[in-house]
Amino acid sequence: MSTQIATTSDAFPSRIPSWLANFRIIPRIETYPFVTSLAQKFAGKLLILALFALGLRFGTPDWIPLSFCLAMITFVPVRRRILVTVATLIFTFVVPWHNYLYPVYTFSLTIFVIMLGAVCFWLSVELRNSVAGRHPVFFLLTGYSLFIVFAAYFPNNTPAYVTVWALAYTFGTYVWFIAYSLLDGRAADRDNFSLQLGAYRPFWGSTHTPIVKGASYLRRIEARDGEQLAVIQLKGLKLLAWSLLISVFSKYFEQFVHGSLAIPTFPVAFVHSVQHRPDAWYMCWASLITAFLEEVFYIAVWGHRIVACCRMAGFNALRNTYRPLSARTIAEFWNRFYFYFKELLADMFFYPVFLNYFKKNKKLRIAIATFAAAGFGNAFYHFIRDLHFISELGLWRAFTAFHVYLFYCTVLAGGIVISQLRKRRPPPAGFFRGHVVPVFCVVLFYCLLHVFDYTDRTYPIREHFRFVAHLVNLGY
Amino acid sequence: MDHREEIRKYLQEMLLQKGDKQLFSDDTSLLLSGRLASVDAVDIVVFLEEKFAVDFSELGFDPALIDSVDAIDSLVQTVKK
Repeated sequence: MSTQIATTSDAFPSRIPSWLANFRIIPRIETYPFVTSLAQKFAGKLLILALFALGLRFGTPDWIPLSFCLAMITFVPVRRRILVTVATLIFTFVVPWHNYLYPVYTFSLTIFVIMLGAVCFWLSVELRNSVAGRHPVFFLLTGYSLFIVFAAYFPNNTPAYVTVWALAYTFGTYVWFIAYSLLDGRAADRDNFSLQLGAYRPFWGSTHTPIVKGASYLRRIEARDGEQLAVIQLKGLKLLAWSLLISVFSKYFEQFVHGSLAIPTFPVAFVHSVQHRPDAWYMCWASLITAFLEEVFYIAVWGHRIVACCRMAGFNALRNTYRPLSARTIAEFWNRFYFYFKELLADMFFYPVFLNYFKKNKKLRIAIATFAAAGFGNAFYHFIRDLHFISELGLWRAFTAFHVYLFYCTVLAGGIVISQLRKRRPPPAGFFRGHVVPVFCVVLFYCLLHVFDYTDRTYPIREHFRFVAHLVNLGY
Repeated sequence: MDHREEIRKYLQEMLLQKGDKQLFSDDTSLLLSGRLASVDAVDIVVFLEEKFAVDFSELGFDPALIDSVDAIDSLVQTVKK
């Protein structure tokens, strides 16, 4: 049965005028029958690919191989998943060849790490009823953490020292991708390793965070027919256009605020504060707010580009950043700002805790699981990502220098917990009370938190509090 | 009220609370399409645990299991068996 349900209700009337709600800077071309019909034809596909390649030219130096891979996948949709693996291997071993000083050495390590991933995946499938098979990510992360400890105490006067750290770095770039494939190992409809490999640092790009998660997610969002593919590709094209628009806007915004208005960048304002010659309090605010906005633009530009490429490959992936400045709660902003990082923390830390512990107390359960994800998971992710601090400072000093970020994670997790536990209510009446005030409060929270997010582990936490004091015109 | 109706009503209220007034059918994707977020998934999990004794610690959590009215109904039927 498939009954259409209308959720329209007079209880929650729209507070935004309809002309404004429906206004689009980039028209919704994927809803125009003529355009979607054209996009399903050979000429239409060529046109979309050509426009996309043109857009990529302004966004990435690898636009030619990327466009080639997208064309290959577009014209052979029945082999999409395996072609994604082929494209990923091209982008792992062929495209970056000249970027490395010792490519054979680097790629040998990469092959070794991929083989380790394959072994872990095989074990997670074969031993899925064992303790390790039921908690594969826990064992993976524990094993990797122990290897980092081993590397940290490895004698640095031996020839193997460099290789041990190189292996730790290489594994670090793959660890979360392997983790997603291990989670998929428990699924009844799991993909085999050849398809899992396509989601290991996929060709459309990623950071240490898997952007668009793993193979499990890919097979659920894959286009099922030509019409769906056309719509998804048109959405991809639009998203790339968005990325370019934001990129251009961001460039002029930075020139205007730091050039014409002479607002210092946040690192500069922070160093002035550390040197006891702070900028005026309003300049500190201006610097903080512009840094926050620039970060939003920055993450939107590269996130949109990556998701756009994924969509062009035929996967209806959600955006990485979706209107974060319209979020009315702290939790909503966290969900909208860097979606795939939030998903990573939810999949690896939140759900394992939430589904297994404190089941009788819903609020406690949510609070503990949120601290496990946004607090512990967030800190753990960044600690093992920035391995150079450990190799340079040693394990203990790297950890103690991490205290500012630990504070950041604790406050962030606390904010998200409170935001989640507050009873959901419809927004208050009126645009100002219903939208402006909540959005202002959310932005204020994240702006202030940004003071503690900015850390190269050089300054103690009192310097960060000193900057906060300057914001309210208190010097100490 | 049968299971399906109860699930449908719950999801309908959840969408309304978010101000989502679009139509949805029993096979409409709600989580994977982004209409509901992971915060909402948590509420759905609690609802299914309390109403239908679904134990996700045994099943393992997969958003696809609770993505639509059809998916949730199928999950509930499986658990009942």
